[in-house]
Amino acid sequence: MKSKTSRFGEIDVDESKIIDMKCGILGFNSLKKFVMIIHEEGSPFYWLQSLEDSSIAFITMNPFVIKSDYEPEIDDQTIEMLEVEKAEDIELMVILTVRSEPVKITANLRAPLVINKQNKLASQVILEDDQYPVQYDVT
Amino acid sequence: MLILTRKLGEVIAVGDDIKITILEIKGRQVRIGVEAPRQTKIYREELYRIITEQNQESAQNNSIKIKDILSTMRLK
Repeated sequence: MKSKTSRFGEIDVDESKIIDMKCGILGFNSLKKFVMIIHEEGSPFYWLQSLEDSSIAFITMNPFVIKSDYEPEIDDQTIEMLEVEKAEDIELMVILTVRSEPVKITANLRAPLVINKQNKLASQVILEDDQYPVQYDVT
Repeated sequence: MLILTRKLGEVIAVGDDIKITILEIKGRQVRIGVEAPRQTKIYREELYRIITEQNQESAQNNSIKIKDILSTMRLK
């Protein structure tokens, strides 16, 4: 399937890789379908591109790259909603905010994206645990 | 806004499937229990707002500059 995007032009989407954001991303709840596009080969950054609004894409990454002891507790409601059967099926990503002047990147460790790798159901989860900041400096 | 007065242990029903119970009142703090369908997400409003605003800021990334930063960034 082909999809138009403002950043990457027309992209070829493998339908089996479409992420189904069940509860959406907070503030963007109407957008449900996304794909992950690696920034460039070898990069830790992935663009989470909306398939419903070509202008919306979030920059995301695996949180363990920047915080190896990241251990968020995912609530049962989310586990059930995403139909997670095994803990190892869960993939976590965090949304980055990239500022250019001055250059600063922060990661939102408080509200990770939880993705079930098996069925591609996903949700943004706000953690109860306040030890994880909304703006964790990674630069 | 609808304003109701409730006593300890009393409940407010919102539609058919949401119930809000006053569990405990202690000085300026109130403990509230919310029962809602699984797909209904319940947040503390201030946290909901912070995350929503952060997401909106994160989505402001449609510039060549941002792509360049990502390409050259060394993570700590």
